[in-house]
Amino acid sequence: MYEEPYKWVEAVGNRRHYLDEQFTQGSPVVALAYDAGILMLTVSKGTPKLYEIYDRLALGGMGHPADLEKLRFSLLEMAHVEGFNRSPSDVTGGRMVKYGIAPVIKQAFEEVFKAPFIVKILLAELGQKPGKDIFLVINYDGTFEEGPHCAVLAASKSVEQDMLTYLRKSGTAPLSLEQAVGTALQAWALGDRSQRSVQAAENGEGVAAGSPPPDAAGLYAYVREAVVEKILECAVLDRTWPGSSKYRALTAEELGRLLPQDIKKSSL
Amino acid sequence: MGMQGDFFQLLKAQGYQFGAEGQAGNGQEFTTATTILAFKYRDGVLVAGDRRATAGNMVMYDRTDKVLEIDRHSVMAIAGVPATAYEMVRILEHSFKYYRRTQLQELSFEGKLRAVSKLLKDNVAAALAGTGAVAPIFAGYDFEQESAKIFFYDILGAEFEGVEYAVSGSGSPTIRGILHYLNTWGDQPLHAMSEDQSAIQALRLLTSAAEFDSATGGVNREANLYPVIKLITREGVRTLPEAQLKQKFEASVSRFV
Repeated sequence: MYEEPYKWVEAVGNRRHYLDEQFTQGSPVVALAYDAGILMLTVSKGTPKLYEIYDRLALGGMGHPADLEKLRFSLLEMAHVEGFNRSPSDVTGGRMVKYGIAPVIKQAFEEVFKAPFIVKILLAELGQKPGKDIFLVINYDGTFEEGPHCAVLAASKSVEQDMLTYLRKSGTAPLSLEQAVGTALQAWALGDRSQRSVQAAENGEGVAAGSPPPDAAGLYAYVREAVVEKILECAVLDRTWPGSSKYRALTAEELGRLLPQDIKKSSL
Repeated sequence: MGMQGDFFQLLKAQGYQFGAEGQAGNGQEFTTATTILAFKYRDGVLVAGDRRATAGNMVMYDRTDKVLEIDRHSVMAIAGVPATAYEMVRILEHSFKYYRRTQLQELSFEGKLRAVSKLLKDNVAAALAGTGAVAPIFAGYDFEQESAKIFFYDILGAEFEGVEYAVSGSGSPTIRGILHYLNTWGDQPLHAMSEDQSAIQALRLLTSAAEFDSATGGVNREANLYPVIKLITREGVRTLPEAQLKQKFEASVSRFV
């Protein structure tokens, strides 16, 4: 039934449509460089979405937990075997993505008889020096983008674009961890909010998708409502951390100190 | 397989061979020799080692690091053939990290001990042939028992707990007696010593070992060469900086020599 090329193109098109739908309920992921490393932030319902991959590599994901788990394992295998056989400095995000999981994701996406991976992946690589950090984002079809400073995952390209614009507004001056947590939370709220309003509009409910984005206080108010009964997940790749592994999840106590005043009031 | 978080199995599945059949050494002399020691002090465990590597009568290297940090809370001190020992350390380091990152929890202290035993067992053939004999000391902080612990191994992989202290290497017979004496009839038992006192004792012990064992390197002040001393506490592993060792050596060790 897919022998004819145009039918295959049609099938892949349908698949794109199907996959886009799968992410509409997902929670965005934000990764942002700060003065001592990289901050990653998201809000989850219980299944963690941020992971340690290697000494200087962290992963953030959106999509189906089982698919994410499968790809996380293949990343871990690749990274550790390579790091053992060669050297930890040969385990780079670029190699893991370009020669590792991106081709696998692309193949699964195009084999229309099989199930695709329902995932979007963000890989953050801590550079040896500030400004040398690398952020990679892989889409469900295996396409990937690489960039400096920050990266995000969200339900659609346009939401991602809005979030990135918001993050870049904070300027290029290095942020403290506290500032980075605030900025990342605002970007998360902006993304989650527009995802929901797009959905609401599709369901014919009130909120117009085009309503102007609120200011920082408004975004914090949104976060306070949105995280009720959910978990604010924060992890850092910290250049100043002793030892070779730079990844650590921020503890509730640390977060308590770092969160902006507007948020602290609620019971996070 | 990956679900077990076993890095050693993963390596083997990729065609990696560890502890390959050893041929008897044909009277060749391999790089060996060492004095390593570990004992419990007030805040945790101190692990120390000299820095000499020898092959027969020849000194191969005088800046060997035999006390190696495997992760934030464990250390392996190595005695025996360094080629094999370093490979073991590399495997362990990756195994513990791989386990933590796949299983999303730290490997238990018991699990870490098992990993060391398993490697030594896989290495028996090479150990008996003389090309790969390693007798390490493994020390770390056990979060379940909330205490720092010391274990030592023979070359076949048998595991023994050093309740107060452990020694290994060619220079160890000399200092084993001293440790026993200090712990039993000293001013205070080893486990009551402060960090400062225990570092001084470690320097004195290694200097004594070097006095009687040609294969153990002592302190060489002209070359600014001091033993490696690491401390393991609940907070993690810490290496004493050379400047501190120098100061302690000059104040409390050299005038007694």
